[in-house]
Amino acid sequence: MSFFDLKDTLRPFTALKQFGKKPHTINYPEKTVEASDRYRGLHYNDLDDCIGCGNCSTICQNAAIDMIKIDGIEGKNGDSGLRPRVDNGRCCWCALCVEVCPTGSLSLTKDYNYVTDDADAFLWTPGVDNPDGKDRISFSTADGVSLNDFKRIPMPELEGMERVKSFAEAVIGYNEEQARAEASRCISCALCTEACPDHMHIPEYINAIARGNDADALRIIYDNNPLPEMCGKVCTRRCEDVCAIAVRGEPVAIRWLKRYATETALTSEITREIVNPEIKEPNGKKVGIVGAGPSGLTAAYYLALRGFDVTIYEANAKAGGMTMYGIPKYRLPLESLDKQIEYIEKIGVNIKYNTKVGKDISFEKIYKENDAVFIGVGFPKAWTLGIDGEESKGSMQAVNYLHMINADENVEIGDKVAVIGGGNVAIDAARVSARFGAEVTILYRRRIEDMPADWEEIEGAEDEGINMVPQAIPIKIHSDNKGNVKSIEYLLAEMVPDERGGRPKPVAIEGSNTIMEVTAVMGAIGQQGDYSFLEGEYEEKIKVDRGRFAVNDDQQTSDPKVFAGGDAVNRTADAISAIADGLRACKAIDKMLVGN
Amino acid sequence: MKEIKSKLVEAIKATYPEATEKDYEGNRLDFYVNKQCVPSVLTYLKSGLGYIHLSHIAFVDWLEEGEFELIYIVWSPSEKLKVFIRARVERENPLMPNIENIWRQANTYQREAREMYGIQFESFDAPQDLMLEDWEDIPPMRRDFDTEAYANKTYFHRSGREDALDVREAIIERSREEIPDFAKKYSR
Repeated sequence: MSFFDLKDTLRPFTALKQFGKKPHTINYPEKTVEASDRYRGLHYNDLDDCIGCGNCSTICQNAAIDMIKIDGIEGKNGDSGLRPRVDNGRCCWCALCVEVCPTGSLSLTKDYNYVTDDADAFLWTPGVDNPDGKDRISFSTADGVSLNDFKRIPMPELEGMERVKSFAEAVIGYNEEQARAEASRCISCALCTEACPDHMHIPEYINAIARGNDADALRIIYDNNPLPEMCGKVCTRRCEDVCAIAVRGEPVAIRWLKRYATETALTSEITREIVNPEIKEPNGKKVGIVGAGPSGLTAAYYLALRGFDVTIYEANAKAGGMTMYGIPKYRLPLESLDKQIEYIEKIGVNIKYNTKVGKDISFEKIYKENDAVFIGVGFPKAWTLGIDGEESKGSMQAVNYLHMINADENVEIGDKVAVIGGGNVAIDAARVSARFGAEVTILYRRRIEDMPADWEEIEGAEDEGINMVPQAIPIKIHSDNKGNVKSIEYLLAEMVPDERGGRPKPVAIEGSNTIMEVTAVMGAIGQQGDYSFLEGEYEEKIKVDRGRFAVNDDQQTSDPKVFAGGDAVNRTADAISAIADGLRACKAIDKMLVGN
Repeated sequence: MKEIKSKLVEAIKATYPEATEKDYEGNRLDFYVNKQCVPSVLTYLKSGLGYIHLSHIAFVDWLEEGEFELIYIVWSPSEKLKVFIRARVERENPLMPNIENIWRQANTYQREAREMYGIQFESFDAPQDLMLEDWEDIPPMRRDFDTEAYANKTYFHRSGREDALDVREAIIERSREEIPDFAKKYSR
């Protein structure tokens, strides 16, 4: 090696050829590397979409998820008010909680870098502690892929034009296999029990069906509902509206599953054998009940079980009230209702049929002979349309028509019927008329989507070939010289948005008069109470407020000895609310008279 | 793709008439075969039909049916088709043919199956522990293994979680529902 080597002196400068090139090493200033798009990191929960069903907490195999109360989130119908909190020290990011979330509110983000000295900080509430997490979601079920089963097992039923030929029950009912499969879709969150006016133990009996124990299901159902088969067929099922599965899918068929469980007991004897309720020793107290509708029957059944001597006074030849006389037999067959009432009578309830209070027996007598009285008289009187020509022959109230048909009476309706109204009574009257061979048109003042009737009923009517004329306001019924209905005249209406935020109002269009030839007109625009049986001092003592009995939380009226329930009290006008009223009154009467 | 699939079904069925196939959308085709046939089907797929890559072996515990299912997923780079070979083995003393000689990497999958599901393989000589250490309980991926009980026993709960509420209880309290004792065994 010489003293001066030019090559070795210059060699370091060769590095200069890299000058200006993009370096292959780290960036300067340093840049954080983004995690990959599908990296499973910390949870994020959309607090508004979450309904607090707790499915995430139940599925977690590491017991890492708690359901907790969060400030500012109140429980309401269809929302438990609780939200999940994750212990990230236990989480293994398997994301089962995300895959079973029925609403899709829970997801994982790609945030995984979380460094802190405070170990307790790993206990955190998704959505509250990382509100910005929604921008970095890496794993969610937003695409609809979920471990929940969103599709309902279809209910077998008769085809529309086949149904209209007879009064055979339109819905056929689940068989065992279908019922087990449908019951298995339930996630047992119990949000439905709060929506049910009677707070039936829904997840428990559905779970019993899913596990193959129909007898236990029936026992659980009879714990607070003595007319479950009726509810299983015609309940308004507000439970299904809040079903957690319904947020993104079809709700669990709670009503059909109840029907399935009750139909496993074919007769009232079998029902009694299975339910096998404990009947207490007679306690010597007497309760008189006015009206054998759902609320009266419920109060009677549970009072009889508690050892009371119960007598129901019923004006008609059969018990059941509106469920007997208001609901067509293709929805609720006579045998089914008979079976349930037979069972209630077997428990020891005494029903005096054809005994109208105020006519065949005075209210005073019932009041004086009993230690407590329960009034469940319902809303028997229909509102009239209040238009000209309503007194013509062939113009009638739909609820009276249904009553007569259910009582096996002959009613002349001809071959062209117009039904006015959009509730279940209107649809029922229309579908019954169709079964008698009439061509039926429903006139409703609002739009079809505004109809208060069940959508299944509306669809059923459409399937059976019933015409619907929405936004039609009847103004006059024309009759021929013999006084028979000849035609109905109506105005078409346009929907005007309500300024105060209510539902849109129909406003008649001037000059849009339309005349439709008909042979019968049925009004179905609502019913009201008839309290003429309360005479003398009782009229004063038992207060009626705006058409309904005024009661406290225990169904007690202004006379402490008298309780009331059903349509004559509540505003929901359905059987399940009446049943809830009856049960509440039973508990209050028991407390008042026996002190339980 | 349809043509490739039907050709493959024909080829497999010619040699293994008892195999049944199930078609899926896209580039996936499943075959259900007898467990004894697994090595020969896989050999045929690899050396005869171009399915040279073993992507994965998956396992399913069919607890109610008393069987395990093994799913060998193979891939053909030329046909661009994924083929799933599915075979069932009884849950009681499960013994499967060893396919280490066909694909070397099957060794690891088989060790996983042995450790996590307790599935044994014929003349399979590999070190015992893969991911677990001194495991004495039933294999943890079996469905009758109670993961939650294990997690609760093994890992203590940190303090600060005492305010957790039960959804069912919260709803019962709010709606004043009275639930009978005999029904509670059906609650969540």
